[in-house]
Amino acid sequence: MKTQTNRKIIKSTFIYLLLSIFALFFIIPFLWILSTSLKGDAQIFTIPPQWIPETFHWDNYSKVFDRIPFLLYVKNSVFVSAIIITGTVLSSSIVAYSFACLNWPGRNFLFIIVLASMMLPIQVIMIPVFVFFKEIGWLNSFKPLTLPSFLGGSAFSIFLLRQFFLSIPRDLLDSARIDGCSEFRIYWNIVLPNAKPALATVAILTFMFSWNDFLGPLIYLSDQAKGTIALGLGMFVGQYVTEWSLLMAASMLMMLPMLLIFFVFQKYFIQGFIMSGLKD
Amino acid sequence: MIHFKINKFNKQQAVFGILFMMPWFIGFIIFGLYPMIMSIYYSLCRYDVLRIPQFIGFGNYEKLIFEDPYFWISISNTLVYTVLRVPLCIIGSLLLAVLVNNAVRGVKFFRTIYFIPSIVTGVVLSVVWLWMFNPQFGLINSFLAYMGIPGPLWLLDPNWSKPSMVLMSVWSIGGGRMLVFLAALQGVPKHLFEAVDIDGGGWWAKFKNITIPMLSPVIFLWSVLEIIFSLQVFVEAYIMTQGGPLNSTMFYNLYLYNKAFNDFEMGYASALAWLLLVISLIITVIQFRLSKRWVHYDGVTK
Amino acid sequence: MKQIIKIVLSLAVLIAMGLFLFMPDSKPPNDGKIRLKYWMVSAMKEQPFHVTEFNRTHENIIVEPTPLPWNEHEKKILTSILSENPPDLVFLVTPVAKWATRLALTPLDDLIKRDSFDSTIFFSALWSEMRFKDNIYALPLYSNSYAFFFNKKLFREAGLDPENPPKTWDDVLEYSSWLIKKDEKGNFKQMGFIPTYGNVQTSIIMAWELGAQILSIDGAKVNLTNQPTIEAFNWTVNFYSQFNIKDVSTFIAGFGFAEQHGFISEKIAMMVLDNSFPDQIKLYNKNLDYGVAEIPTFKGYAPVSSTGSWWLAIPRGAKNKEAAWEFMKFAVQKNIQLTEAERQKALLFPSNKLTANNPAFLSLNESNKIFVDLLEHSKTPTVVPLVHDVFWREYMGAQERVVHKIQSPFDALKQAEKTIQIHLDETIEYDNYVRSQVSIK
Repeated sequence: MKTQTNRKIIKSTFIYLLLSIFALFFIIPFLWILSTSLKGDAQIFTIPPQWIPETFHWDNYSKVFDRIPFLLYVKNSVFVSAIIITGTVLSSSIVAYSFACLNWPGRNFLFIIVLASMMLPIQVIMIPVFVFFKEIGWLNSFKPLTLPSFLGGSAFSIFLLRQFFLSIPRDLLDSARIDGCSEFRIYWNIVLPNAKPALATVAILTFMFSWNDFLGPLIYLSDQAKGTIALGLGMFVGQYVTEWSLLMAASMLMMLPMLLIFFVFQKYFIQGFIMSGLKD
Repeated sequence: MIHFKINKFNKQQAVFGILFMMPWFIGFIIFGLYPMIMSIYYSLCRYDVLRIPQFIGFGNYEKLIFEDPYFWISISNTLVYTVLRVPLCIIGSLLLAVLVNNAVRGVKFFRTIYFIPSIVTGVVLSVVWLWMFNPQFGLINSFLAYMGIPGPLWLLDPNWSKPSMVLMSVWSIGGGRMLVFLAALQGVPKHLFEAVDIDGGGWWAKFKNITIPMLSPVIFLWSVLEIIFSLQVFVEAYIMTQGGPLNSTMFYNLYLYNKAFNDFEMGYASALAWLLLVISLIITVIQFRLSKRWVHYDGVTK
Repeated sequence: MKQIIKIVLSLAVLIAMGLFLFMPDSKPPNDGKIRLKYWMVSAMKEQPFHVTEFNRTHENIIVEPTPLPWNEHEKKILTSILSENPPDLVFLVTPVAKWATRLALTPLDDLIKRDSFDSTIFFSALWSEMRFKDNIYALPLYSNSYAFFFNKKLFREAGLDPENPPKTWDDVLEYSSWLIKKDEKGNFKQMGFIPTYGNVQTSIIMAWELGAQILSIDGAKVNLTNQPTIEAFNWTVNFYSQFNIKDVSTFIAGFGFAEQHGFISEKIAMMVLDNSFPDQIKLYNKNLDYGVAEIPTFKGYAPVSSTGSWWLAIPRGAKNKEAAWEFMKFAVQKNIQLTEAERQKALLFPSNKLTANNPAFLSLNESNKIFVDLLEHSKTPTVVPLVHDVFWREYMGAQERVVHKIQSPFDALKQAEKTIQIHLDETIEYDNYVRSQVSIK
């Protein structure tokens, strides 16, 4: 018994060691962004690199609020992201269900099309789509950014969820069908609850994408009152001079909500499976 | 001819199958098919967005393949980058997810830190790495100098520029990728791992016999996606190197972007885009064929 | 109970989202005033003087400037013209020809004629940029000028006479050999001159000096393998032959902006810089003991400088052409430009010659006279207007290959010339096609 406990201690120490090494690896650039956001412009590119600013320029953060209508942009970004997440999770899950759990003619062929649609670079899709939105009068609004997400979300989410749904045992679905459940009931009551981690992943990744999206807001939003924070960030990059510390401060402000969302959504991921030897 | 088993079961599935995928289908017609058709047409023209297109048949494609050195340079750069990067990223994320799936105290905190790569993106990420890679005052060379090793010029050296970018993307093994593998790991029934324990197997046995097969659909998913995304690498090169030094980081999508928005040669860019799609499609189909050998689906049979 | 709360909450969220998406835009107040949307770049922290003064002095027109992110503003302007609902005024720096040939701008000739607008107030290099084919499409708003900066303190340390800057390029070569300092490890601590570092390439200035005619008069043929350009490249190769290119690259990598700029941080003793630098030096290194002189030349040739033009134009399809024209005329007036230069720390020069030659403007900075004089002998970087980006990409690529000793100047330039010519031919053919179609209609 003592050897078992010892082995456990060695194992957990080893795990903590690994976790910490990687944590360092991931956090260093983040710390640099944080430290740069508090520096005056002179100290950013010194040799050797300075981690602790000489004076803490907390005013960099307030300057960000002065230079761009930051709170307004945040509100816009939050709404846009929320709508996109809702549309994506709902529609890509039902489409994925169709591809993964139902059999119908042409299914495999259309799935290849789903994949192929991810392979065309955005630069060439951009212009025809823009012209389309112009013809239906949706320019200079948030509609082109948000409403398409209800039409299947994105090929990426569909693909992801399909792979997850494929690992749900077939017998579960078939027995439900034999019991007389409609396909929609099976989708809503069996598949979705079992795929919470996958759905949470889609939600988080979709949020990341929409929060950081620059190109869409750039061409579809014209009024200043309609900016998003990704656009706001671009204001600090000039033709000859980039205001690094303000850019980093604005980035910090942009990144913190994402960390928060992730931390909150973690509850859909169970704590991880227990090491051997212990009972739940 | 597709044969249907005439029974209620299949008819119900077929009807609902088609019904449920309608949202995607409609979206695809508008945002996928229509732009695709337009861009095929543009690829057969000279077109600069603001004026009418001039039909020139396969002129763009001919020029690209036979007369444009940048086409071949950018393809080879992009392929090298993809081949170096994709295996590293997938293996890295997988191992990371396994690590982070342990229920030690505070794992939630670690997971949040590991998610940082996904939130540092685009311009800011490139700027941070520009700084890290700087031969004079960058973190990496300062660290190496501290250990007495003279560091290379990283992004400024034509031989090191692609490896630098690969290194940069290895940093992103955390974040969303890790998350996807983690979600998949959570779906593996515990008793399978416990069975290995009872048989006396250790970490490696679990990994080889349970984790990899059970996660193979997701690993396959990411291989396909990573390759597609790697072939479209753009932002890093755009911000950090603009294709240099000596065209070593002139990636396909960067060349396309230059053609589309700096030179206003949208027709030429569309031809570039379609060639990329064909290449990506071929690679993906090959992957799907190969997947039958190693991907293990528990649920619906393919 | 919990169910009801959930439903109510979901409904509230849905309604909020719906409102957000479908709420109609607020309309501007109906006061009979014309509102001009002016898309500019986000460099400035406050509205430019010409905007605020115009709004103050014009009762019926209000100019509403919107800053755009620098890197992406061209894409945005492109899509806005495509949308047929563009802003009333745009501010750009890329060649006018690039936009004019694409019918993106409204010609101004009728307005110029109607108001007898005097275009001689502009420097000739700037004004010639505004013309494409037979029309004028824009007015130059700002410009800049380059001159030769040298560090007097470093000259003294090297035993060179600080009041005697180099007058020829050979002098530059010689002086720079005295100004090199290395540290114990053999890395550069200081260099005299680096032809490929900075916003303007020394090689193109040299080529211009020697009379390079890169684009034919009819604009259809590119010639980079002319003798002047080859000589300019030869000089560059010769310069780099004494160094290891890796060492130079490492040295340059240590530079940045502001305090870390190569000249401002006193790591490079001589450099061709633009007129914003006296102010930058005052800001970031006020003890820098420096001098400004005319750009060196080859023996027997006159100095040539580079100038960029930042211009104002009216996009095609804009609705308030007359009002926008009033604003444009106002912004380039002598007095307005003078006051703006006096009050606002802009990094750019006025485009109006009368302002630039005005004693009040010249007295703003002791080196302004040199810059302004050089402006008369300047060329713009728009060497090949129709394929401007391709030209510079190929030119810089050729220079890079030459400096890395991969190709000889002739071969590198020949390769660049070939690519540029291919794209120029394509563009001209397309141009002709569009014109033929339009005239048929």
